[in-house]
This record gives sequence, structure tokens and C-alpha cells, in this order.
Amino acid sequence: MKNEIAKANVSWLAIIIMLFGLLLLASHSNELLKQKVIGPGSSADLGFAADCRADELEEEQLSLEECQLMVSNVRIILSSSPQWYRSYQLTLSSLGIAATLFSLVTAFSLINRQSPELRLAIVSSALLLIIDVAGFVAAVNIGPLLRAQYLWPLLLWICIHLCMLVALIRFGQQSAMDS
Amino acid sequence: MSETKNPVEPESENLPRLVVLLHWLLAASVFFLFISSWWMLSLPLPSAEFTYRELPFQLHKNIGITVFIVVITMAAMRVRALLREASSPQGWLQRLAVVDHLLLYTLLTVCCLSGYMSSSYSGWSTTLWWLVDIPSMTAENDDLNILFSDVHLWSCWALLGLLLLHIGAAIYHGIGNDGAIDKMFRLR
Repeated sequence: MKNEIAKANVSWLAIIIMLFGLLLLASHSNELLKQKVIGPGSSADLGFAADCRADELEEEQLSLEECQLMVSNVRIILSSSPQWYRSYQLTLSSLGIAATLFSLVTAFSLINRQSPELRLAIVSSALLLIIDVAGFVAAVNIGPLLRAQYLWPLLLWICIHLCMLVALIRFGQQSAMDS
Repeated sequence: MSETKNPVEPESENLPRLVVLLHWLLAASVFFLFISSWWMLSLPLPSAEFTYRELPFQLHKNIGITVFIVVITMAAMRVRALLREASSPQGWLQRLAVVDHLLLYTLLTVCCLSGYMSSSYSGWSTTLWWLVDIPSMTAENDDLNILFSDVHLWSCWALLGLLLLHIGAAIYHGIGNDGAIDKMFRLR
């Protein structure tokens, strides 16, 4: 009976690691794309006015004001980002993608074998937590307009990875006691 | 140790390794497509000065075309087995699982095709992974672009709803420990 519960815990943990891992992979990849696309010296930074043609507005179902604010939105990102922020985010997102891929591999390992892979899953969750905290610390030090966009999702990720880490550690302790 | 029979007893044989790998590749791609598309539509409209949308849209189309190829491959490998399951006597949860899978394949195909048609009618060219030019099927047409854009939008919302059902079912199987989740992780 204990073995069945332990096996159920492994399946449950693997699916949770996989689900949040895939969401995080998408989130880090999108952040990488954001930083690649919106850079200093680009057209919004040079003060060009928004080009809002009537046919485009109809196609996108946008008002003229919304179209103009889209350019302001990019300006907010650029003016709220300190000089170091873009390269920091590019590095952190790349590390995040690598750590997430590692955690996805550990989810596969959890199902296919057991005990050493549990330690790897603990390491990968700890890595993800460290990356979240590094992102949070950076977000605290950027301008308020951009900070407001980042802090809450990062806090949510910290909580998710903390839950995963504690669950894996506790499950590891229980497995050690049972064997 | 007492053996308790689970009410939802999925087939026990392993899935082909290719199907397992394609399933996870598809999941990662679909999540990225959703998250990146919500962001990229907030970027300034394209013009000679504003080219912010160029890379995200090209990437979106590249991944979308790749997803289409993956879905067709998976459907070709799985549909016969799913239809066989559907015709055998089984509980309502298993029937729901078969319908969920068939609907997922259908909606993924509709999302990809409507996205391609919308792009085709918009007049923007597509170069698959910056290597192969994908010809536009038609000349630029704003009305049809808007129509297919709407089909793309609503089929993607429906897909998201169905994905949530799919994820819920995965968690249900994970907690129930009935072997269904293990099949999706076995590469041997």
C-alpha cells in the first residue's frame, strides 16, 4: 500500500513539474523574445509617431487611442529599464530556459527510475527558485512602470517553485524512511 | 495488499516513443504560441518605422506551421487507435477522453490552417524558419483576412478551454496512479 502511495506521489509530482515547466519555458522564451525585439535606440525610442491607418485599426479592432498607446507602451519599457537590465534579462532568461529544460528531464527520470532522480529534481527546483529570486531582485531595482508588470508574476513563480521544492524534499525524506 | 480496480483503466501498452516526444514538443509549442501571441499583439502596428512585430510574427508563423506538421503526424499515428477505443464498450470517462483527443487534433488543425489563411490574405509573406518561402494561396483580401483571423481567434480560445480539460484529466490520472501518466513519460 505504501509503495502504491509513493508511486502515486511520483506520478503526481512528475505531472506538476511538467505542467509548470512547460508554462515557465514559454514564459522565459517569451521574455527572451521581448528583450530581443525591444531594444534601446529602436523607433519608439527615437520619438516617431504611431502609424495608425484606418484599415489596420479595423482589422485589429483597435481605437486610434489604443494604437497610439501601443507606441507609448514600448516607450514605458525602454524608459523604465536601466542600462544593465536588458543584458541581465537576456542572461537570466537563457539560464531560465536551460534550468527549465533540466527540470523537464528530471520529470521524465522520476517516472522511469526513482531515488537518484529525486535528488536531481530537488536540484532543478532549487535552481528555478534561485532564478526567480534573481529576477525578483532585479525587478525591484527597475522603474515603477515596468516593475509593476514583473513583480506579481515573479512572486507567483517563487511560490510555485517553493511548493515544488518542499514537496520533493519531503517526499525524498519519506522514501528514505520507508526503504 | 488489496488490489483496487480503478474505474478509469486506460490501455496498458506503451505509446510509441515518437508519439510521446511529439506530444511534449506540441505542448511546449502551444504554450509558447499562446503566451507570445498575447504579448505580440500589444506591439505597435507595423509601418516603415515600426518593425517590432516582424520577428514575433515570423516566429509565430514558423512554429504554427511546425505544429501543423506535428499534429498531422500524431493524428496519423493515433487516430485509428482512438477510433478503436471509441467503438469498444467502455465508461463515460474513457469516451470523454477519446472525444477530447479527437477534438484536440481537430482544433489544432483548424487553428493552424485559419492562421495560415489569415496570413495569406493579409499579404504578408511567410518564410518557414527563414529558409523556405511558403507561397501565399491568394491575393490580399481584407475581408477574408478578418474572417480567418476571427476563426483563428475563436478556435484558439476553444483550444485553450479543451487544453484545460486535458490538463485536468492528466492531474486526475496522476493522483489516481492508473498508469496513464506513466505512458506519457516512458521513452523505452
